[in-house]
Amino acid sequence: MMLKAYMILSIILFSIGVVGLISRRNIIVIYMSIELMLNAVNLSFVAISADLGESSAQVISLIIIAITASEAALFMSLFVILFRNKASLDANLFDMLGDKK
Amino acid sequence: MQNEIVFATLAIITIVSAIIMISAHRPIDSALSFIVTLISVAALFGLMNATFLFVVQIIIYAGAILSLILFIIMFLNIKDENLPDEKYKNRWLLATSLILTPFCAILINLILRSDIALEGATAKNFGTIQDVGLTLFSKWVLPFELVSILLLVALIGAVMLSKRGE
Repeated sequence: MMLKAYMILSIILFSIGVVGLISRRNIIVIYMSIELMLNAVNLSFVAISADLGESSAQVISLIIIAITASEAALFMSLFVILFRNKASLDANLFDMLGDKK
Repeated sequence: MQNEIVFATLAIITIVSAIIMISAHRPIDSALSFIVTLISVAALFGLMNATFLFVVQIIIYAGAILSLILFIIMFLNIKDENLPDEKYKNRWLLATSLILTPFCAILINLILRSDIALEGATAKNFGTIQDVGLTLFSKWVLPFELVSILLLVALIGAVMLSKRGE
């Protein structure tokens, strides 16, 4: 009973993350939407793990948290370099992959 | 019964703060409401007896990653003219959620119909550091080592990216 409630909450959070990822243009909000989607996946992993009484799924979500941390470091340096070049947070302006214009 | 009430309260807090997060105009507002989302997800972990992940979620997510985001937002000194002018933001949000609602409904329907709830006997030390750590270092050693390589690559990549060119 409770597992289904947790899974439904996880689906709703994931969908909110997808909505934010598609419809926003602010790059910081896009990054946080990705984080929200990963968090929803973590929530469903932990719910399954608590239901089965087995801790492998918790280890997977621990690894997901570590991957998120490395992603955060890369995203932060991207924010800094993009803001330095374009002085904006608009994701539509970032089309220079490689050389500066 | 008590668990259900706590769960419903936390679920409402999580969903509302996530919606505020994706619809706020200024990034500092969305970062602050994202902290609320992360802390209530951590409380949900605690409700499921996953105590170690509860601590990890609060220390790493709400502590380290979100303070890094707040630090970057304040460090960049973002003015209103630096933000993208999202004139049709509400229309975009509405249209995307209309498109996504059927997928969400199908998934929820699938979950409700299936018989996944096993209600297995929970071990006494479930979710503690000992339990998670033993599983991590016995079954999942290889992914753990690969994560260390990934962190090293991310470190070098971040340094190389933000190095000022000549």
